[in-house]
Amino acid sequence: MAERIDFRDQISGNKWKSFFLISSIFAILVLFGYVISFAFEPGFFFIIMIISIVFSLSYILISYYNSDKIAIASVQAKKASRESHKQYYSLVEGLTIASGMPMPRLYIMNSSQINAFASGRDPQNAVICVTTGALEKLDKRELEGVLAHELSHIANYDIRYMTLVAVMVGMIAIISQIFLRSLWFRGGGSDNKNNWIFLLIGILMAILAPIVVQLVQLSISRKREFASDASAVKFTRYPVGLIGALKKIQKDAVQPEKKISKAVAPLFFSNPFRGWGSTHPPLEKRINALERM
Amino acid sequence: MFWGLWLLIALIFLIVFIFFMYYNRFAVLGNRIDNSLSQINVQLKRRADLVPNLIETVKGFAKHEKEAIKAVTDARKALVGAKDIEGKVKADRKLESALKTIFAIAEGYPDLKANQNFLELQRELSTTEDRVAYARQYYNDSILSYNNLCKTFPGTFFAKLYGKQSREYFQVSETDKKLVKVDFK
Repeated sequence: MAERIDFRDQISGNKWKSFFLISSIFAILVLFGYVISFAFEPGFFFIIMIISIVFSLSYILISYYNSDKIAIASVQAKKASRESHKQYYSLVEGLTIASGMPMPRLYIMNSSQINAFASGRDPQNAVICVTTGALEKLDKRELEGVLAHELSHIANYDIRYMTLVAVMVGMIAIISQIFLRSLWFRGGGSDNKNNWIFLLIGILMAILAPIVVQLVQLSISRKREFASDASAVKFTRYPVGLIGALKKIQKDAVQPEKKISKAVAPLFFSNPFRGWGSTHPPLEKRINALERM
Repeated sequence: MFWGLWLLIALIFLIVFIFFMYYNRFAVLGNRIDNSLSQINVQLKRRADLVPNLIETVKGFAKHEKEAIKAVTDARKALVGAKDIEGKVKADRKLESALKTIFAIAEGYPDLKANQNFLELQRELSTTEDRVAYARQYYNDSILSYNNLCKTFPGTFFAKLYGKQSREYFQVSETDKKLVKVDFK
């Protein structure tokens, strides 16, 4: 690739974006509280605002410190044991030497797809998870390429940002659903003009927010995959392994994975849903970029 | 007047901060180099520790392959005895080629080839060889980022100020790189 990627810039960029994202999650949540309190019961304004601030702060803190656990739990992955997965451990240990990074915790999820993902808030608190399909179908060098790709997501702090985005998408979807549904249960009766304006804003936000978030999520994850492929090669110095893995995924025709929710899809090594949205660049393009290295 | 004073103070803080920042970057990158060097040593030592076990196993099945066994023990001795990292890596190269001969010989001994212990050791040795390569690669990567800092502006200025010099890459001389010939007798 002609474009050189400076990893230090990428890391600080990711940290800033994560910070910005956390701030906007907070702002959106508080704003929701504000709109709701006006739309429904202006009398309880202060109580609702306090509740919404406390709620958003605890929501943000919990999801920040448990992002890896949330992601692991949402795909029902299990911890990989060192005894039965020697090669898996040995490959990651080798890669941590090549990249000078701490050892992540290793997990396995049950799925016939060839796939993997990484999560966590920083390299010291990171997890890598591969599917049983990847362990069975890939050979040693191919698996190493996939693991190196995931490890570089960790090194670049992609995991923090991506997991936060995933958590935010989930949250906004839930809130707007609650908000829209609660409208049906509201009887008529309030003739207040102001009330209706806020109600309208509320509905608009509830409809627009998930769409905007989804768009943001789609646009950010594609560039990252190229960058991570590139630094995976920097770790292994062996693009053939990663190319092999991508080609096997191309040929491997399996059902879309139902266990993976759409919110966590961008975390994965390749798109778990084939053709749904475009969280990942097409496999051919990734292979082409690697072959030119 | 009042604003000018604040501006001056802010400027001084900024300059001091930049000086500290560059000092720390040199320290961090320098530590990374030292750390990756010790990682090479760790892996080489682990490799040397595996060899006696292997020799014992091979002796149990192929006692009269004295020459090949001696080559391995000699290479191991050189590896353990080497003082600096260059000497160690050179000895490791010799050990690697001696081990290749042993593994080639093992093909002729079905009992040895099927021995669980032997297979395990063979796998471990090839894993550590990969790791030696990875550790060296990371060592050179660390030196690259250190040297980049030393040689680009404004890093050059601070490098001179703090007396830091760019470091040498770790290289394997051409004679060591040539392919190992396995002798089938």
